[in-house]
Amino acid sequence: MTGPGAHPYNAPDSIASIGAPLSTFALDRITAQFPEAVAERYLDRTGGAWAVIHAEHLPKVAAFLKNDLDFKLFTSIDAVDRLHLAESDPRFEIVYFIYSLSRHEHVRLKVRVSEARPEVPSITPLFKGADWWERFVWDFYGIRFSGHPDLRRVLLYEEFQGHPLRKDYALRDRQPLVPERPIKDIFRGPGTSGVS
Amino acid sequence: MSDNDTKKPTGDSQTPPKGSPSETREEPGSTPKHPPAGARLDTPPVAHSSPTAPPPPAKPAGPPPPKNPGFVTCTIDGKEVVVKPGTNMIEAAKMVGSDIPYFCYHPRLTIAANCRICMVEASNAPKLVPACQTPLAEGQVIKTMTAKVKEQQRAVMEFLLLNHPVDCSICDQAGECKLQDYYMKYDYRPSRLEGGKVMKNKRKVLGPRVVLDQERCIICSRCVRFMNEIPKEPQLGIFGRGSHEVIDTFPGSELSSNYSLNTVDICPVGALLSRDFRFRARSWFLSAAPSVCTGCSRGCNIYADFMGQETYRYRPRENETINKSWMCDQGRLSYKYLNLERVLSSVVGRSQGTGTARPEIARRDAVKAAGKALADVKGRVAVLASAVASNEDLLATLTFAKVSLGAKEVYVGGRPQGEADHYLMTADKNPNRKGLELIAQGLGLTLKPFDELLKGIDGGRVKALYAVGTEVPGSVEAFAQAAAKLDVFVAQATNESAITAQATVLLPAATHVEHDGTFVQVDGIIQRFRKAYPAKGDAVAHWALAAELTRELGGTAAWTSSREVFRELGKAVTEFAQFDWDKSAPPDREKPGINPLPTAADGRPPGYREFGAPRVRGI
Amino acid sequence: MADPHKPASPPAPEAPNPDTDAYAHEAELEAHLQTKRMYINMGPSHPATHGTVRLKVELEGENIASMDCEIGFLHRGFQKSCENVTWTQCLPYTDRLNYVSAMMNNFGFLNAVEKLIGLEIPERAQYIRVIGSELHRIHDHLTCVGATGMELGGFAPFLFAVEARELIMDRVAELTGARLTTNFGRIGGMNRDLPEGWSEKVIKTLDKVMEHVTEIDGLLTRNRIFVDRTKDTGVISAEDAIDWGWTGPCLRACGINYDIRKTKPYWVYDRLDFDVPVGEHGDNYDRYLMRIEEMKQSNRIIRQALRQIPSGPIILDDWRIALPPKPEVYGTIEGVISHFKLVMEGIQVPAGEVYDCTEAANGELGWYMVSDGGGRPYKVHVRAPGYPILSAVPSIIKGKMLADLIPTFDTINMIGGEVEQ
Repeated sequence: MTGPGAHPYNAPDSIASIGAPLSTFALDRITAQFPEAVAERYLDRTGGAWAVIHAEHLPKVAAFLKNDLDFKLFTSIDAVDRLHLAESDPRFEIVYFIYSLSRHEHVRLKVRVSEARPEVPSITPLFKGADWWERFVWDFYGIRFSGHPDLRRVLLYEEFQGHPLRKDYALRDRQPLVPERPIKDIFRGPGTSGVS
Repeated sequence: MSDNDTKKPTGDSQTPPKGSPSETREEPGSTPKHPPAGARLDTPPVAHSSPTAPPPPAKPAGPPPPKNPGFVTCTIDGKEVVVKPGTNMIEAAKMVGSDIPYFCYHPRLTIAANCRICMVEASNAPKLVPACQTPLAEGQVIKTMTAKVKEQQRAVMEFLLLNHPVDCSICDQAGECKLQDYYMKYDYRPSRLEGGKVMKNKRKVLGPRVVLDQERCIICSRCVRFMNEIPKEPQLGIFGRGSHEVIDTFPGSELSSNYSLNTVDICPVGALLSRDFRFRARSWFLSAAPSVCTGCSRGCNIYADFMGQETYRYRPRENETINKSWMCDQGRLSYKYLNLERVLSSVVGRSQGTGTARPEIARRDAVKAAGKALADVKGRVAVLASAVASNEDLLATLTFAKVSLGAKEVYVGGRPQGEADHYLMTADKNPNRKGLELIAQGLGLTLKPFDELLKGIDGGRVKALYAVGTEVPGSVEAFAQAAAKLDVFVAQATNESAITAQATVLLPAATHVEHDGTFVQVDGIIQRFRKAYPAKGDAVAHWALAAELTRELGGTAAWTSSREVFRELGKAVTEFAQFDWDKSAPPDREKPGINPLPTAADGRPPGYREFGAPRVRGI
Repeated sequence: MADPHKPASPPAPEAPNPDTDAYAHEAELEAHLQTKRMYINMGPSHPATHGTVRLKVELEGENIASMDCEIGFLHRGFQKSCENVTWTQCLPYTDRLNYVSAMMNNFGFLNAVEKLIGLEIPERAQYIRVIGSELHRIHDHLTCVGATGMELGGFAPFLFAVEARELIMDRVAELTGARLTTNFGRIGGMNRDLPEGWSEKVIKTLDKVMEHVTEIDGLLTRNRIFVDRTKDTGVISAEDAIDWGWTGPCLRACGINYDIRKTKPYWVYDRLDFDVPVGEHGDNYDRYLMRIEEMKQSNRIIRQALRQIPSGPIILDDWRIALPPKPEVYGTIEGVISHFKLVMEGIQVPAGEVYDCTEAANGELGWYMVSDGGGRPYKVHVRAPGYPILSAVPSIIKGKMLADLIPTFDTINMIGGEVEQ
């Protein structure tokens, strides 16, 4: 049996940061370059540095990251519905992870949007990889990405009602049956089968 | 069940000498002190400022002068906290987010300080001090997280678990047990016990409703203090010494108080158990819906704990103005009618003697039949309204009776009068008599006593009756015999009885846990209750039946929810005008401890994947 | 839109009825060649694509004018499910992400949760995780390489690959109790130790597996048909690959040396000597070569790890994290409380958020987790490596031959389970 305090979990009162804090290089540069864009900066418990960006400045910040700071490897986007968290306003938080192959570190960005106007500028024009992730967030959280070339649902079907990863989407909710789609996009060679 | 000790500070936690009645507590027998005039909002008090807080302790002779005159300023875990003089450390620590563990302390009881787990470091004491018993002093520095305190907490937990039986798997308290919570938080170490545990009585029946497992007991004395101080019926005591110490009743007596089941609630471990609830459900499978007890007109706030479409128990819910943290045993056990002998489907036609099956038909057809029967006797229908139905039910049904049936008077039904007791229970066993009175007044209907209805039927004056709820104040058999003479008897009922057997059209109605709504309790306080689960069988709420009947008779009734009923029809009642239906909803809080998945969030009970159409919980 | 197949002139009044007349369409055989674009549907269940995915391909002759991937056939609501069970109960769901290398998903998830709590797991557990991961890396690559070979017409490599997979599955079953969905490891360490005599068996298995890999290598790498169909097909430039968010062997095939095991070593990867193969052309052939070489490197890693693995505990001895031993659960109240709380309420993960990633068989397996301090996750985001890779396929295949789609789809190794969550 390890005694108390053998590992950090044993001292929940001193959980300021566990492990070495990760680099804040990119966030420092962003803050210096666009002080108006950064709403908040903080370190999470595991040492990850975060910056909350105002939605309207996101494309600018992303372009700066990509072109000037060499954060080019697009990792992922997701959102958090903060409905049941202590701090729940604004309701949605979109998280961006972009990696720098030269510095070997992730930059973690957040954009907060309200339930009333869930819309963020798309960064798909900058990062091709953002395409499907933005579609994913639209699909599951109903957050629109303005400027996205093709904002459709990606994993669910178009007739799906609601956005299932929202916390108020009931776990056991059911979807109505949808009629079979008329097959418009299939053409079976010569002949008329399939399309009349 | 030990959640109702997590209340907000009341300010009356100054240590009185043990055993003496606290001066700030109400006298037994006196009704709670609120004027019975009119309807009032059921907004829970925001801050409990006790006007009768004891005077501040005499200031120390020398410095320092108080930082905030009239208050005590001190530091807890590095955070400054300003409290009223006399506030103990547990409550003060709660304000700044430091949790001090406790077993024996209860905000509404006197302080025993015998469990010793709340010991903290105070700057003005060489040793650890019990946080429950020690009022804060000016400038004091409290530390609740130091190694010394943690070692004390660990030692107390080890000590309490030393003789605790390995019972979690068969214990009703498992999942809502303080021993479990605190073990995981403050001890989490293996047992060092070598040798056996002390054996005691595993099943000591204390009274008609409570059974004690003496092995599980940690002798916190909460139950003893409760019986002494709240219902003032000292029926429990601590007997023996050391390892042989046990809770028991005094020789020759039993725990028969009408408040005995509260001891089960406040028992921090699984020692005191409700004989009614024991072994019936594991607590973590139960979901809780904030509701109101319908046992009497007091309207004690409760949680209705349910699983599937069954209510398993009531637990008192905090309400400073009505029931504090308590409720009576009679009310607590009054949940059974929600599950048993329910009217689950519609019936048309009287039953022909006992044992003959009555044809069950779809509710739509029954409503049609009822509409037809009522249309024929329009203007001559007597209306019986039960004081058990909610305001929304009564608003809708009485509006229907007035507008569509042309009724001008309403006979007051409801359960017969019973006995009051010295504390919470009232003689009127109907939760909503006040609401019925207000609504009838608002709609311009005359209320008539139930006896006149009986006379009217016997005299042949009343030939048709529309009943909202079939509870009657008099003899059920007598009324059933009278009802047999009726030509038309349309009854909306929740439970089967001899009366429902005489209904020419019987419509199944939902109980209060099956829909949202409000009651007006005896002092005129309007109280919201929440829906726990969808109605059993084919039942729908009275208001929904009224809407169907209204449409059947050619009227318009566009309500689709209790809320709309209240919004539309409540305008007629001046007392309801002030009441904000949405805001007054009790927080849809889950019960403490282990909660099942977000149950009933879609209207489907936990474990029921295929129940009805998806519905979304909301107000 | 106008129907492209409609005969130009309206049918004669006594046109043959196709329902009754077998020769009704005969006239169409003499119709002019279609010069319009043809739309074909690859999938959802297509013999030449492993994985359930519908590729709507628009063909201009034999060239692909455009392609649209319709995914989601395997969507299981992974995130929603995780949000409603305890942290430990999420683990079986992670098996189903990349079901060809379940252990890597298990361990990736556990690693992230441990990082969120702030746990350092015992050294032996770290070695077991490395061994399990690398075994499954070989397993995953074998599947990919074998399937690629088969879908390009060579059945023998597939048989060798499946034979080798079978051997690995036997070892995995001995280790975890399951062949595919391993559910292995627990928060704070492992749930079971290496079985008696398992290490020796693994060495023997690896010998055999490597024989098969050599065999596959010999059958495919210089095979004219295989090389012709894979070389210079499905090419993606390094810049595009980065932009699309590619990682893993597919990115390395473009010449980018990025392997999380090297750049940010987790567990004990920094104590093990292995090389990361880096390609050059970013075509299907390079992606295939990456996988062959990675299997050889994984072989090295496992052998080293089995030599180095220390004895000791395999899971933290903390009753808030790990289940107590069974005698304690049955015999002491302390044990039963801990067991009860851990099983019913779950491990209380302190509130916070974390992003953590490990190198899975197809690339960066990232986890973003949010805890609200309770026993259940508030949010579990999984960044499956296959998702960005698949999203790039329509762009890299545009304008190429239809036949190139098959090797491209094979070598990116799309796994429905992880892409569609």
